[in-house]
Amino acid sequence: MSEANGFEPKIIAFCCNWCSYAGADLAGTSRLQYPPNVRIVRVMCSGMVHPNLIIDTLTKGADGVILCGCHPGDCHYLDGNLTAQKRAEAIDLMLEDFGLEPERFRLEWISASEGPRFAQVMTEMVESIKGIGPSPYVRRSD
Amino acid sequence: MAVRVAEEWLTICGGCEVSILDIGEPLIDVLALLEFVHMPVLMDHKYYGQTGEGTVLEIPEADVGMISGGVRNEKEKHVTEAMRAQCETLIALGSCACFGGIPAMANMYSLDDLYSKVYRESPTTEPAEVPSGTVPSLLDRVYAIDEVVPVDLYIPGCPMNPGMIAEALTSLIDETPFELAERSVCDECPVKRERKSGEPIERPLQDAQFDLDGPLENMRCLMEQGILCLGPVTRAGCARTREAGAPKVPRCIQGYMPCRGCFGPIRMDANPLVDMMGALSSNGLDVRQVLDRRATFNRYIGARNRLRPLPSRPAR
Repeated sequence: MSEANGFEPKIIAFCCNWCSYAGADLAGTSRLQYPPNVRIVRVMCSGMVHPNLIIDTLTKGADGVILCGCHPGDCHYLDGNLTAQKRAEAIDLMLEDFGLEPERFRLEWISASEGPRFAQVMTEMVESIKGIGPSPYVRRSD
Repeated sequence: MAVRVAEEWLTICGGCEVSILDIGEPLIDVLALLEFVHMPVLMDHKYYGQTGEGTVLEIPEADVGMISGGVRNEKEKHVTEAMRAQCETLIALGSCACFGGIPAMANMYSLDDLYSKVYRESPTTEPAEVPSGTVPSLLDRVYAIDEVVPVDLYIPGCPMNPGMIAEALTSLIDETPFELAERSVCDECPVKRERKSGEPIERPLQDAQFDLDGPLENMRCLMEQGILCLGPVTRAGCARTREAGAPKVPRCIQGYMPCRGCFGPIRMDANPLVDMMGALSSNGLDVRQVLDRRATFNRYIGARNRLRPLPSRPAR
């Protein structure tokens, strides 16, 4: 899979405990293949991921961030994912303020039964980040 | 023995020095305990001897050094380093010294961009060369004092709260600790909060709705009225008053105006732009309506790398 320039992006995925993390689990137990560039951070709800955390992640070493929550209406905490959605709009604007491409942040709804979708979303994300190249904030040793 | 004070002004408007005078009567008591050994705003003390005969930049030794203004050019960097070497305690006076202040908004642009705008591209300017040789050259950006030398005490504010300067000086003389509150302006704000609002966000200069004769407690929170107020992400402290028993109200709120964020972030390493955008969006306000987000939320705090030219995007 390695590209001509050998760029392997580092992508952080924040997955909610109740849907998306279980979806990732299902992808694992189903032996689905997806690129190893994704590091998963389990959080209790997508609504608890403050924009600060996303911006810090993007300006301190990650090439992309993906925030995964339950489908609207399915949130374990009723409306946490809707909070995440509102914040995602602000995050999109802040990417502009920090000079980052909009593709570097994605919000996705992945339920516990959507293992294949999880693998597919992660593959797409890695491909898209490989296409736009490393984050301007990342200083690589090479 | 009197406390020897050296004061220096760098990239500054002079408001901080006026603010020292504004301490008022308590200044008379404090002045008796102070001896100013160096203060360009008041006294004619040359850096290289009175006739320019010296070869090294000379600042007299002092117990307390105060610097107002950020560091913009080579001369100011030199002076800052000399101040640090000669002063036992160094105070960063005002928002420019603490966080870069208004001049640090220029940190959004590279030096080349600034030069070409100021000396060549501006429509009212006759194109000219960038001056060199006779004036100190500019640094690549505006620095806060503590990016150049270590600072012992910060007194933020644009201008500072006179009560706070008196308090800091008194605590230095008495050798008691002086610390800034880790609270927001909202914590000291007396206005009425009704509910989360869905009002459109207006510019800070928009008129607020209030009753001029009634108490301030009856005014509705400015943010709820849709007027962008930086209170939630700004450090408290401007509300202190000199007179005992007087109500504590943030200064801009006293004038029925929203907070502009001059006291800087609540914690030194916080990022108000991100905090405020997060808070606005969680509260259901449309953040798209905020104009010029980077400058608005970093108005006084552009140094310390909060404002910088946007990274150039890698070639696809």
